[in-house]
Amino acid sequence: MEPCRQVPVAFTINGRAVSLEVAADETALHVIRDRLLLKGTKEGCGIGECGACTIVVDGKAVNACLMLAAQLQGRNIMTVEGLIEKHELSVLQKAFLEDHAVQCGFCTPGMLMSSCALLKDKPRPDKGDIVDAISGNLCRCTGYQQVVGAIQDAARRLFGEKA
Amino acid sequence: MNMKEIKKIGRNWLRRDAAEKLRGNPVFCADLTLENPLTLKVLRSTHAHARIKRIDVDRASRTQGIARIFTAADIPGKNLAGIINKDHPLLVPDKVRHVGDAIALVAAETETAAERALQAIQVTYEDLPVIRDPEEALKEDAPRIHETGNLLFTRKIKRGEVERAFDDCAVVVEKTYRTSFLEHAYLEPDAGAGYVAADGTLVIYASTQNPHYDHGEVASLLGVAHEKVRIIQAATGGGFGSKLDLNTQGFIGLALYYLGRPVRYVYSREESFLATAKRHPLTITIKTGTDSQGRLMAMRARILCDTGAYGSYGIAVASRAAVHATGPYEVPNVDIEALCVYTNNPFAGAMRGFGAPQAAFAFESQMDLLAGELGISPLEMRRQNALREGSFTGTGQKLTASVGIRDCLNAVKPFYERVMEKWRHDPAPTFKKRGVGLGAMWYGIGNTGLQNPSTAQIEMDPEGSVTLYTGCADIGQGSTTVLSQIAGEMLGLSPGAIRAVVADTKYTTDAGATSASRQTYISGNAVKDAAGKLVEILLTEASNLLKRPKESLIVDSGLIRDKNDPEKTVPVTDIVRRAHEKGLSLKCQGSFDPVTEPLDPETGQGVPYATYAFACHLAQVTVDVLTGEVEVNRIVAAHDVGKAINPAGVIGQIYGGVAMGIGFGLMERYVPGRTVSLNDYDIPTCKDMPDIVPIVVESAEPTGPYGAKGVGEPALIPTAPAVLNAISDALGERIYTLPANLERVLEAAVAAGVFPGSHGVKQPA
Ligand code: FES
Ligand code: FES
Repeated sequence: MEPCRQVPVAFTINGRAVSLEVAADETALHVIRDRLLLKGTKEGCGIGECGACTIVVDGKAVNACLMLAAQLQGRNIMTVEGLIEKHELSVLQKAFLEDHAVQCGFCTPGMLMSSCALLKDKPRPDKGDIVDAISGNLCRCTGYQQVVGAIQDAARRLFGEKA
Repeated sequence: MNMKEIKKIGRNWLRRDAAEKLRGNPVFCADLTLENPLTLKVLRSTHAHARIKRIDVDRASRTQGIARIFTAADIPGKNLAGIINKDHPLLVPDKVRHVGDAIALVAAETETAAERALQAIQVTYEDLPVIRDPEEALKEDAPRIHETGNLLFTRKIKRGEVERAFDDCAVVVEKTYRTSFLEHAYLEPDAGAGYVAADGTLVIYASTQNPHYDHGEVASLLGVAHEKVRIIQAATGGGFGSKLDLNTQGFIGLALYYLGRPVRYVYSREESFLATAKRHPLTITIKTGTDSQGRLMAMRARILCDTGAYGSYGIAVASRAAVHATGPYEVPNVDIEALCVYTNNPFAGAMRGFGAPQAAFAFESQMDLLAGELGISPLEMRRQNALREGSFTGTGQKLTASVGIRDCLNAVKPFYERVMEKWRHDPAPTFKKRGVGLGAMWYGIGNTGLQNPSTAQIEMDPEGSVTLYTGCADIGQGSTTVLSQIAGEMLGLSPGAIRAVVADTKYTTDAGATSASRQTYISGNAVKDAAGKLVEILLTEASNLLKRPKESLIVDSGLIRDKNDPEKTVPVTDIVRRAHEKGLSLKCQGSFDPVTEPLDPETGQGVPYATYAFACHLAQVTVDVLTGEVEVNRIVAAHDVGKAINPAGVIGQIYGGVAMGIGFGLMERYVPGRTVSLNDYDIPTCKDMPDIVPIVVESAEPTGPYGAKGVGEPALIPTAPAVLNAISDALGERIYTLPANLERVLEAAVAAGVFPGSHGVKQPA
């Protein structure tokens, strides 16, 4: 196997500017977990089926396992580690905690990132919007009910009652 | 017991480990930081049944970046694992029994190097006839998959005079039900990591449901003393039964033993699908008869369990399927036989419910068929046959307490009556049919007719802080939180204030497997026992000091006080100091082992479980007769859990169980040789979920901690039968094979004559 061609990329992740050389066939997930050592983003399948690797790229939820690292160029990335506000859990994270939306927790970072992108886009989502937003995030533990509830709660706490 | 008010039990406590997971902390095996680790990978068989003539690793060993390649010959200890029967080699020595069997282990500097080496290993196979069908495997002249023969185990349960009883029955129904292999599909693919500690101990982090089992198994594979191995359960991203078997632990142990360098092994999703246990497909032929009033009189069942290449938990699955085959009903005459058979399919092991979900599909379908023949409502049919206090089960066990099945049926009744009256008959959209179904179940807590003890320790330090030591693996269900609540209740402390040392074989003792819905009941009791002993010591000391009878003292929020005289108090820390001065140990050991009686090998009579959980689900479905699509509109789920220690946790289990039950009923099917990953194995997404109405029924179990039993597996069991009964109600035609996927539903719609193409049905204009 020939070593893959290296390309330089520069992007912002959780507010921090990074630039590094990546292999042309390297995934964004690999760079995030194994080069930047941000282990919050999980790998559950590597083929875009489970959503455990969801990150937010320029405000949109994306499967990091399907994205090439080279495509990160110039983008603004957020991972679960970027949700923390002054060492405290964010409102969204607190809602997950208090509404019992975490069981094994493996799907949780991906769920958080999908809901984070949703709330940026649509501060007052209805239940259908929430279901759509996390329909690409598999969870084998919770049956999704308490996750949906947590996202509703977070939206309420952040942006008030739905008009 | 103290007469103080119960404060920590029955309240919603936040999960202890949730915050770190919400932060994205590196708590799972794949996330752990290791110093310059080697990557492990396994070469797996591509043949289903073959003799291995030769394994040539020479060329592969010389490829760049390879530390070492191991084969069976390198295993220093006993190359056989298995929790019930030891038949599963870590690396196969001479023959493969299924596609996916482990042949060689590669330790390499990088993932790429490991992949390259795998490709360079040459294996020469000599094919043997492949057996896929357990009926074939049972034939006299079938090739033997294991030396001991293809029939691994038989469980018989015989009570009363079945033949005579059938003669007297007014209605008899006999049918055959089939289920598929299922993949657990926990979100975290199996993973492990390890290093060798300064003192030479092999330290292994594992994604596991049973660290103490892993511990013994790794020590035996390596032929080393127990103290040489330490297993630490890392955060475990779901298990559902599959992580009761070894996954990476043995491979990590082997590499550490020889190489001494840190190693990591993370399965890809594909490897997790290929190499780990599946749910047993069962074929259940069942004959059930009632008198003219609809009272169950007799049942005969033959249950065939395909355990694939290895036993894993197959014996437990067959045994449990047999015991549970009557359902939560009184059946005076039974003759049940369950056979557990080897084939060359993937090995099947434990999966949430151990054969009880498959059995429930059969017995609950039978209940509706019988009700239909008799012209009684399915609800009444169940109510009049439900077990009660004083009932005898098929194994001859007399139930004496906590038989909550009637309460569950009664809880569902108003919902059932309302939907049968209105929703069921409201006009559905064109080509859609509505149906309503019930599914009930019972589930014995703990291992079947076997000892299954748990132990725990509680320690109070000189400052009065409390540490709970438990070997119980929390795999996401929340046991650590529940056990802390129990300790907190006993010691008058907030559960959050109790330090928990969990599932590390160096510091904790065996709590048994996180399986069989046993941890709240069994480990909960062990923790309560330990905490009770500590309280006893504290109160004895305080009684001497305060000159008050021990019985009138309670411990609460760091004080010991007299119930009758609130002025009489002493800080716990004072007592602790006194105790330490006297040399009293404040580390107390607790244990619990439920009282069971082994089942007789010929008749299956005995006491398999000390207590049972019960449940009933109501399903409302809408079936699209054009596409075969089934929409589950609502599930009402009533569960008798004895006592909900952490109600939010119980409800979370119910929601998750319903989701898995919908998967089992409608979509999940693992086809050996074809199913590869999550793109060809569908599990329910958020979009597949109905409205769920959880109802917690608390029929207290006298031997349970604060009355608690369990809910983990019961949550899943009634859903599929309820949904299947609802589909049959909608179509007027029953499906006997799971999953009820689009094809099968369409087939049933055609057979029922409700598919628009079927003869006699008018197409709308
Ligand atoms: S790991 Fe990216 S979708 Fe599963
Ligand atoms: S909490 Fe376990 S997969 Fe979602």
